[in-house]
Amino acid sequence: MKLIAEIAGEEHDVEIKREGSRVVALIDGRKIEVEARDMGNGHYLLKNGNSVYECRVERSRDSARSIEVNVGTDAFHITLTDPKRLRSLARAGAHSDGSTEIVAPMPGKVVRVIAERGAHVEAGDGIIVVEAMKMQNEMKSPMAGTVAAINFQIGATVNAGDVLAVIE
Amino acid sequence: MFRKILIANRGEIAVRIIRACRDLNISPAVVYSEADAEALHVRMADEAICVGPAPSVESYLNIGAVVEAARRLKADAIHPGYGFLAENAGFARAVAGAGLAFIGPGAEAMEVMGSKVSARRAARLAGAPIVPGTTEPLTSFEDAQLTAREFGYPVMLKASAGGGGKGMRLVAKEEELLSAFETAKSEAAAAFGNSEIYIEKAIERPRHIEIQIFADSHGNFVHLGERECSIQRRHQKVIEECPSPINDATLRMRMGEAAVEIARAVNYVGAGTVEFLVADATRDFYFLEMNTRLQVEHPVTELVTGFDLVREQIMVAAGWPLSFKQEEINWTGHAIECRVYAEDPENNFLPSPGRISFLRVPDGAGIRNDGGVEEGAEVSIYYDPMISKLAAWGRTRDEAIDRLRRALDEYAVGGIRTTLPFFREIVRDREFINGRLDTGFIQRFNERRVKAVEQTRGADGFDEERRDIAIIAAAFDYVSKQRSLSMNQRKDIEEQSRWRMAGRPALHSKS
Repeated sequence: MKLIAEIAGEEHDVEIKREGSRVVALIDGRKIEVEARDMGNGHYLLKNGNSVYECRVERSRDSARSIEVNVGTDAFHITLTDPKRLRSLARAGAHSDGSTEIVAPMPGKVVRVIAERGAHVEAGDGIIVVEAMKMQNEMKSPMAGTVAAINFQIGATVNAGDVLAVIE
Repeated sequence: MFRKILIANRGEIAVRIIRACRDLNISPAVVYSEADAEALHVRMADEAICVGPAPSVESYLNIGAVVEAARRLKADAIHPGYGFLAENAGFARAVAGAGLAFIGPGAEAMEVMGSKVSARRAARLAGAPIVPGTTEPLTSFEDAQLTAREFGYPVMLKASAGGGGKGMRLVAKEEELLSAFETAKSEAAAAFGNSEIYIEKAIERPRHIEIQIFADSHGNFVHLGERECSIQRRHQKVIEECPSPINDATLRMRMGEAAVEIARAVNYVGAGTVEFLVADATRDFYFLEMNTRLQVEHPVTELVTGFDLVREQIMVAAGWPLSFKQEEINWTGHAIECRVYAEDPENNFLPSPGRISFLRVPDGAGIRNDGGVEEGAEVSIYYDPMISKLAAWGRTRDEAIDRLRRALDEYAVGGIRTTLPFFREIVRDREFINGRLDTGFIQRFNERRVKAVEQTRGADGFDEERRDIAIIAAAFDYVSKQRSLSMNQRKDIEEQSRWRMAGRPALHSKS
């Protein structure tokens, strides 16, 4: 199977073939043969020669598009694309029309709304403040634009993944 | 001795107290909120009573409900842990009023130490040094000049109405005083509508060092040496160690005696901590405040002295004299503790609540982990997001750091972000290893990190072999999931067709 893996802003072509517990991978044309064991729950034990790598694959908490792979104490954020399916494997956070959603990274309560609908904001400007675990977290705009929507009012309870605001 | 103790807390400290109860053959009972019905402290207790909904004001802070729970359970005593009601004099009175023992000091001592003004007064009366400063606003520049000369430079000018660094000016020498005085005044006027300022002696590179004290109801007072807690983020301790890397026996004795005198002055009973600021260069120390409870970081003192502070707290509350004398206390080796939080260090330490999908807790020589969660536990948004306290002991500070580094690398938590990666960097940091600590440590450490990242940028920043392994694991995971997905689809289709096949003869037989 051929896939594209995006990691730290770089794309890598990946082709992998399974032959029992052997996995033959071609990464950007480099051949790497490993022994892979699926231990369940996204845990894999990979051996490259005699080197052992304990890997855990999790959904990323920051972005719906990527996954997080822990290799020992190192964490890698990877976005996989299956060219056959002609779309990203997971929901996109940024839309093709150039708008961006500000998504609650955790459940909490809205304690302040800084920007009003229709206001112009710069990248890094605070939009909405969510309180969780007695800490106030200012959610900032990732880009310059206009506030197209503020979806919650002060006092509202929000869940992780809720779209708090939309910037165009 | 008590037969049953109610623990008015949750998380790791409730678990810690349950263990001490078990050691003493005392039955541990707990309270919990609706959000904690399946929490570890509930599962480990003999009895448990729900005291209200998830928000702590409606449950763990509800004095009436907690005391009523203790009464219904027929507990002999209440241990408040730390946080929540631990330093609430009203709670201590309510517990005593219900005829129960409160495992902590008397309400009067709590009240004196609960206010900055009365605490400073008590410390001064006990002969402890406090940061020299004026309590009255400065009347003129000449007033400022005279007071600054009296304290000695550097001094700090502060707005009376102050906060957030506005109206604050550090003055290194007298020539700078006039302009600093004027800017501080105008800044204070602009920021707070009040131009009053006062003056304090400035402490350069202050270290936060605290003394653990213990007292019983028979008039015995001891100190168990210091803990250095200079590594702080947003005034929250992050790493604590015992002894301080300064490791000066004379300083320990002087600070210990000062702390004992302060405790004696307020008729203190139980475990308490007296916090001081220590000037890095001169080793002068100044009283900061007293915490009238067990501290989060008590395990480092336990590891180095060998005493069980919670066991001692319970014994003292039951009326026993202290089980050790000052001259029996020895400090052996070195212990360092990290507070592991469900916070994302890559994202400005944003809380990271959620379900712990995987948990591997380190173990081995010299390692102690005080945890309050297990795999599958939910780190909720309602409470402090600390997962555990990881402490390492070694014969020397270097050995303790070696073990801590190993344990931090071994510690694995899935499903949520934690501060573990941040600690893994700190224990490899040169300044930390050299014990060059003061309250500015984290700020300087963060600046060094940013520089290190900038330097490695472009040169990829990570190990390529591991990156390849990560890509293979990701692809392998994807392929496995696709395969099981298509297998399930096939099974669905097969099941459907079997239904259809079973259905058809039935239809036919009807006709």
